[in-house]
Amino acid sequence: MDWSSNSYSLTTVAIVVGSIILALLGAFFGLLYRGIDRKLAAHMQGRIGPPIIQPFRDIRKLLAKESIIPDGGLSWLFQACPFICLVVSILLLTYIPVFGQRALLEGYGDLVLILYLLIIPSLALVVGGFASSSPFATVGAQREMVIMMSYEFPLAVAIIAIAWRISHVTDINPFIFSTVAQYPIWNQVGPVGVIGSLALLFTLLVVTPGEVAKVPFDIAEAETEIAGGLLVEYSGRNLALFYLADTIRAFVMVSLVVALFFPYNLSPVIGIGATAPAVIVDSLFFLLKVFLVMFISVILIRTAMARFKISQASYIYIIAMTLIGLVGLILIHVDMIV
Amino acid sequence: MKNEEMETTYTIPVGPIHPALKEPIRLDLKVDGERIVDVDVVVGQVHRGIEWLGMNRNNPIQNIYLAERVCGICNISHPFAYVMAVEHAAGISPPERAEYIRAITAEMERIHSHLLWAGVAAHEIGFESVFYLVWRVREKIMDLIEYVTGNRVTKAMFQIGGVRRDITEEQFPRIRKTLDYYKSIFDQLKTVFLDDRTIRMRAKNVGVLKREDALKLLAVGPTARASGVAKDVRQDQAYSAYADLDIKAVTPDILTGSIVGDVYDRIIVRLLEIKQSMEIIERCLEEMPPGAILAEPKMAKVLNTLKKAEGEGVGRHEAPRGEVIHYVRLEAGRETLATWKIRAPTYVNLMSIPTILKGGQIADVPIAFASIDPCISCTNRAMVVDRKTNEKSIMTYEELHQLCVEKTRRLSNGLVK
Amino acid sequence: MEIVKILLKQLLQTPATNKFPAKYAPKSTIKFLDRIKKGELKLTPPIAVPPRFRGKISYNREKCTGCQLCLKVCPTKAIEFIPEEKKVKIFVARCCFCAQCVDICPVDALAMTDEFMLSSYDKYADELVVTK
Repeated sequence: MDWSSNSYSLTTVAIVVGSIILALLGAFFGLLYRGIDRKLAAHMQGRIGPPIIQPFRDIRKLLAKESIIPDGGLSWLFQACPFICLVVSILLLTYIPVFGQRALLEGYGDLVLILYLLIIPSLALVVGGFASSSPFATVGAQREMVIMMSYEFPLAVAIIAIAWRISHVTDINPFIFSTVAQYPIWNQVGPVGVIGSLALLFTLLVVTPGEVAKVPFDIAEAETEIAGGLLVEYSGRNLALFYLADTIRAFVMVSLVVALFFPYNLSPVIGIGATAPAVIVDSLFFLLKVFLVMFISVILIRTAMARFKISQASYIYIIAMTLIGLVGLILIHVDMIV
Repeated sequence: MKNEEMETTYTIPVGPIHPALKEPIRLDLKVDGERIVDVDVVVGQVHRGIEWLGMNRNNPIQNIYLAERVCGICNISHPFAYVMAVEHAAGISPPERAEYIRAITAEMERIHSHLLWAGVAAHEIGFESVFYLVWRVREKIMDLIEYVTGNRVTKAMFQIGGVRRDITEEQFPRIRKTLDYYKSIFDQLKTVFLDDRTIRMRAKNVGVLKREDALKLLAVGPTARASGVAKDVRQDQAYSAYADLDIKAVTPDILTGSIVGDVYDRIIVRLLEIKQSMEIIERCLEEMPPGAILAEPKMAKVLNTLKKAEGEGVGRHEAPRGEVIHYVRLEAGRETLATWKIRAPTYVNLMSIPTILKGGQIADVPIAFASIDPCISCTNRAMVVDRKTNEKSIMTYEELHQLCVEKTRRLSNGLVK
Repeated sequence: MEIVKILLKQLLQTPATNKFPAKYAPKSTIKFLDRIKKGELKLTPPIAVPPRFRGKISYNREKCTGCQLCLKVCPTKAIEFIPEEKKVKIFVARCCFCAQCVDICPVDALAMTDEFMLSSYDKYADELVVTK
């Protein structure tokens, strides 16, 4: 395994072992961050909240319960969707650089692939909702489809804007993460471009709660309106898989934001050269960055806002956020000319 | 062609058990995508036979505690109206100090009920932080209620002929301290509810009830006042200590200058009523006359008087949800009540639900339904179960009307000697 | 926004939760209660109740004259008369804590205490039937 060459290929063994390690780490940190999210949100609301290891206990409890399959639903589809959701969420982890290192499968996929892969977990939720044969799940699945279509636009605008800017600086494929890491957006732009980049960052921070289905965009799983929405018929092992996939997706989306906008590593700055301490320091710094982004875009927004209606959420994404993203793109372009 | 008129609607059942509802009621929503086309309301899941118990098993003093448990949040309103009805029928009049204490506890209940509603409304739109904040604030009034009456919920303050406990001078400072606390945070609460962008997005122009509809559907309470109908029993037919205080019905144009009749207006009305209740309690504390708290301190004598009394009485009270009416008829020589009829305010407000919900989105259903402050435990309906054949049938309007006419005839025959 | 200020302020304050009986739910309630009995763990005490709180009823047998007035006014029929001794028995499991019997008793034989932790597995257990 040669980490330093630009075009590298891995042996099959390396891929398999790396994926297993990433899956375990992703699950662990996904659940850990979900626990931290609940604890912080609880303290912000003036209560004690569950202990931080509570999501682990939730998974253990769900795995011990009976998985009920509704009569009218398509049983094979109903049970396949949680698996697909979990598998693709973990798959996303192998393409995104986490813990300050290169992405595991970097040579095999880039940002464009990530854009497509991000759709699949939401799609699995939608199909699972439709396969549940319950009016609540049908309404929830319809809403999730609308939200999915709405946030794709600003997400694409933000990612393409960054890649486009980087493509003017270097000849290497700008959609590869190591290129983005080598040429962070803040270093490439002047003051006008900084405002544009902030607009793009804002767009991505608003897309994140929509992607991971948290208030104000958790319309598909609205508890008080449609009694659990998409997931209303899921229980036991299937619900555990969806829950785990949900936590991993949150971790993945925030890691994507960090990889695009804050790909800095700490060890070159403080001058640690040796591999093992550098890995540890970089990992801790990465976890800190993820925590900060998650605090602002998931936890704070979740506690400070009410839930939107589907018409309002879709308006916010398709019109407002896309406009802001386009403004960011134009500002970056202006900055380049000036 | 018939193809265009294909059935595109399907029915979503909301209830009897649903996270949006705090009490069992069934709303069958016919939806087309997200838009609601038709609403059907089915009540009766909490029917407990309270009126039957009152007429066949309990004497009038036991009925006070039964009336208290008609609803957990309205547990001063129902005994208040009931006790007024019995006193009206038997000709007992409570002393002045008792009337003031009754008004103070009724206003404390109103503050509590509106705070509880505010938290629940925030929870319905997914705004958990405001829910926790408002319920945290509500703990103070519950502590005060526990201090004054002995229990947080079922206050057991009423007695036929007065009240059971006195609010002594030593308790005044504690009451004033709680009122000061609420005064200090009232502006913050108002800002959190009325100036928050997301609450405005969810509450403005949602669940609109126009003034003509409110008058036609006989809405009562804050639901009617938010639509511009300035009806308030404390203002129109003042009773008890309210006759000394000058109460004006609270309508949203006090704050915003215009009346739309949507959920936002109902939030305004309820928040302003909290302020009004605080002022009423303060005035009552200042102007409380000295004296006895019971017209007849020996309960055994009261029981005897009621056994010999004859007549009918009506008691009306402005509960937090609207006007509650109790009708009581006493017969000489009969230990239990001859007739007892409760008309809870939610019973009438439920009639406005189809008008409020039609044309809106599914996402509006919880908040619009919660905005009339439904207390389904106060409602009940007749459902006939034929014990021989075990058949259930819902009575139609004509059958109900027929029964109603027959009952009136029975009652008037009983009165005419 | 006002709510954001409130939230961030509350993040730094102590939570409003009263930690009775323990901060987090114990894994096994029975073991938890055993350890409290042995004295290894301490129960966080509940908030004190105000005076004149209507808790479990207390009955002064000597003062009672057997007039049966309390039976007449009990809304739930929780009081039973023992004719041989002319005294009463009160079933706390049926009591609704309205204290009407306390008010009507002519010799003040009944009073409400401030006990409220009254759960039990058996509604006729000795703690829940007041005879003296």
